[in-house]
Amino acid sequence: MSHLEPEGEEQMSEEFVFSGRAWVVGDDIDTDMIYHGSYLPLTDPQEMAKHALEYVPGMEDFTDKVQPGDILVTGKNFGCGSSREHAVITLQYNDVSAVVSESFSRIFYRNAVNLGFPILEVPGIAHQVETGDELEVDANTGSVRDLTKGVELQGAPLSGLEKEIMTAGGLFGYLKKELQAEE
Amino acid sequence: MGQTFAEKILAEKAGLKRVEPGQIVTVQPDKLLTHDNTAAIAKIFHEIGVERVARPEISVIVLDHVVPAATEAHAKNHQQIRRFVAEQGIDSFYDVGEGICHQVLPEKGHALPGYLIVGSDSHTPTHGAFGAFSAGIGRTEAAAVMATGEIWLMVPYSFRIVVKGRMPKGVYAKDLILFIIGDLGADGADYRSVEFAGPVIEKMSVASRMVLCNMVAEMGAKAGSVEPDEKTLAWLSGRAKAGFSPVSADADAVYERTLEYDVSDLPPQVARPHTVDNVVPVEDVAGTRIDQAFIGTCTNGRLEDFREAARILRGRKVAPNTRLLILPASREVLLAAVAEGLVTDLVSAGAVVLNTGCGPCLGAHEGIMAPGEVTISTANRNFKGRMGCKDAEIYLASPATVAASALTGEITDPRQFI
Amino acid sequence: MSGKTVIEKILSDHSGEDARAGDRVWADLDLAVVRDFGGPNVVLEYEKQLADKPVWDPQKIAMTFDYQAPAKVVQVANNQRICREFAAKHGIPHVFDVNAGIGQHVLLEHGMVLPGSVIIGTDSHMNLLGAVGSFSTGMGTTDLAAGWATGRLWFRVPGTIKITFKGEYGYPASAKDLTLFLLSQIDTSKTIYKAMEFYGQPIEALTLAGRLTLASMVTEMEGKIGFIVPDEQILGWIRERAGKPVEAVVSDGDASYWEEWEFNIDGLEPLIACPDRPDNVRPVGEVAGTRVDEVFIGSCTNGRLEDLQVAADVLGRMGGKVAPHVRLIVTPATTEVAMGAVEAGLYETFIKAGAMVTNQGCSLCTIGHHGVLAEGDVLVSTGNRNFRGKLGKGSLAYLTGPAVAAATAVKGEISLPE
Repeated sequence: MSHLEPEGEEQMSEEFVFSGRAWVVGDDIDTDMIYHGSYLPLTDPQEMAKHALEYVPGMEDFTDKVQPGDILVTGKNFGCGSSREHAVITLQYNDVSAVVSESFSRIFYRNAVNLGFPILEVPGIAHQVETGDELEVDANTGSVRDLTKGVELQGAPLSGLEKEIMTAGGLFGYLKKELQAEE
Repeated sequence: MGQTFAEKILAEKAGLKRVEPGQIVTVQPDKLLTHDNTAAIAKIFHEIGVERVARPEISVIVLDHVVPAATEAHAKNHQQIRRFVAEQGIDSFYDVGEGICHQVLPEKGHALPGYLIVGSDSHTPTHGAFGAFSAGIGRTEAAAVMATGEIWLMVPYSFRIVVKGRMPKGVYAKDLILFIIGDLGADGADYRSVEFAGPVIEKMSVASRMVLCNMVAEMGAKAGSVEPDEKTLAWLSGRAKAGFSPVSADADAVYERTLEYDVSDLPPQVARPHTVDNVVPVEDVAGTRIDQAFIGTCTNGRLEDFREAARILRGRKVAPNTRLLILPASREVLLAAVAEGLVTDLVSAGAVVLNTGCGPCLGAHEGIMAPGEVTISTANRNFKGRMGCKDAEIYLASPATVAASALTGEITDPRQFI
Repeated sequence: MSGKTVIEKILSDHSGEDARAGDRVWADLDLAVVRDFGGPNVVLEYEKQLADKPVWDPQKIAMTFDYQAPAKVVQVANNQRICREFAAKHGIPHVFDVNAGIGQHVLLEHGMVLPGSVIIGTDSHMNLLGAVGSFSTGMGTTDLAAGWATGRLWFRVPGTIKITFKGEYGYPASAKDLTLFLLSQIDTSKTIYKAMEFYGQPIEALTLAGRLTLASMVTEMEGKIGFIVPDEQILGWIRERAGKPVEAVVSDGDASYWEEWEFNIDGLEPLIACPDRPDNVRPVGEVAGTRVDEVFIGSCTNGRLEDLQVAADVLGRMGGKVAPHVRLIVTPATTEVAMGAVEAGLYETFIKAGAMVTNQGCSLCTIGHHGVLAEGDVLVSTGNRNFRGKLGKGSLAYLTGPAVAAATAVKGEISLPE
């Protein structure tokens, strides 16, 4: 993940505006569906990427068809279950640009922030968007535009510490920036 | 002129007065043993075009290789076998957890003196310890036995190995057989029937005789055997489900080779990576650091093996940075080990007591090594990658040697602890 | 300002700030733990970001190998090795290897978990330690690596829901049923990211094992942590093992809760979570008669001696034999539990019943290890997760307490204990 140059305290850069095709999945997609337990021994992210969403019914060919910049849209409680960061990494390394969910499970949320992987919570999103729709997501403001359907939705953008960590590209980017600031 | 053990059994089963080595006979085995590979065998069987197993009553199927299932593929395999068993009406089916097939077969009374046993596993010769002619066959042959109930076999030449002297303390059947394999070489008994005899053999327990017969495969032998005696009958008492007639070699039988070994000065032996016949006295490798120690398998996973191990480990602790894995060969062995307090002794020492089964022996489960690691094991094979990792090393030894090595974290002569 | 909840007190104490629900604080860590799952990733990330820089405090780091103990594939064996090497390099003394058992339980038994502590780990069920009042939480690789480097991490201070139970229940209902009941009643859109504090007579009556059961499923409620104030007996148990004085952290009388809920569990009956979610809870009677293929008794939720004892008792009362088509797998949580089970004769009961008793660890819960299911297989488990396909594609999993699990194993179908 590239490290970003923050332009100011309150702003994330334009790199937090995404355009891409939507892939829509339902509620309660747990970490075993996103990245199955049998692949936990893998530590190479390129290998991990091969198994993204494999156990989500209907998404078995996701890794063949996904295009860089695609956006994953989900129902409630996305990423529930295990603390495995693999669930975030497998999506990142398929060049999914962001995950937009009705709600995130807590550990997935945290892992995404720490890895600088853009996430956004938007109530009702999974019912308004369909797989294949062209989306424009602005993680700065929290707005999501479905260009195919002509619909605009408002989500809650990251703020405060989470926003700073995300802006810095993740927790280590944030910590290194802090260390530099101290020096 | 008399007949050897193999010649007598095969002649009898073939309905002939006598047979000669090299002669092909068609025989009906008393037992057909298969394990986790049954599904693959059943597939071949169906490909032959036959619907029903000819003699389901001779089939003994034991799930032991990867138990409980380690992956979806293994789970599916087991499921297919269960369905096959139900569909064919095979009664002697032993599901996961019963134990290793070569321990379960005799425990359940299927290995009897005078029997002809064939199995789709290279360590089927183990059952020669009960005075059976017991040989490993391939999957296709096993499928053919299922289809027709009979098999053709070539009568092997026979070796007679006479073992004399007194087994020293700290030296066991495993050391003896490793020594013999080291002496004869990996193909030194190629396609032979090996008969073990002599005062040392007569004094051995049935479990120790199983160690010898189990490992004849590692010198290329087709079968190994020990003449049944009161010990054998005592072991079998209450287990045999059928009558049996022991067969013995004639006193004037003619052997291709007769070998004599005197064990009186035999030190503990170790097979070095990566072949079973790469055998040396333990002192040649003493001090080699080990990451893992493994006591179990169809070779040395019995009560007497755990007794020896517990004797050495009792009240002591396994070396830090060394993992000790214990795998009882069967449920019956495990129960006895629990009852005798051996499990408590071993767990207290820091061992991991695993569920019954083949475990890591064949590299499929529970105890795989990392590249660069070293294991000392009571199993019967140490080929490169055998335990699942191509860049790891396996040494083979007796349970006592393995236990002593677990204590120190390096290959150790067990005699200092006995 | 009002008083503080338990989590506010703990995070205030560890951050030096007046931490209130909704705040972000940087808190000092008491312990940062990794498993053999997640651990190697943390090591690799740490070394990538920080090279050879010494960890913040080797005494406050622990490694617990429980995911695949011992390894069944080379990658995991290698992962375990990577962790061991890192520990050796950085002088980290607390490495609980493949012979120790489930990490959180092992740490608890070793007196390393104190009420009021902040502990992070690469396991989403770290928070079961809330049962003794510790703020323990599951985290990903990056958090752990950063924690190892600096000894502190950012936390959102959760709001707290105060949950009070009333009523009485008796056997065969258990702590697991109380937990499943709660899961069925709550709205996870409310509990998401909340802390919970549990009160009431039924909670006070829970033993340590029962408290661990309840706290272990807070994750399934989408909660961050669930606290139960440790009583004198539990505090004494911890003191003895920690070798130092410990006190419970108690919320202030005027603490400000996000919401307060009350539940009446009078006449609680055995419950079961049906496929595919832990909150899909029904009375056992409603699904009784469902045929099962595999039963698992163990896990961080129900793997303590008390749980095994309940299961063994039920097995004994119901004829002592597992149904022929059922695979029963029993896994003690830790070495201590395993030894206790051996001494109490439970191993014998399980083995004689036809169960497989495996070594201590996470066993099949994490699909790391064994007991994987085939398509169409049905599992009844005392674990905490039953998401679709988790334990084998196309399989179905039910969650329940040890008594119902044992009864089910005997009958071969979901059953209430006799």
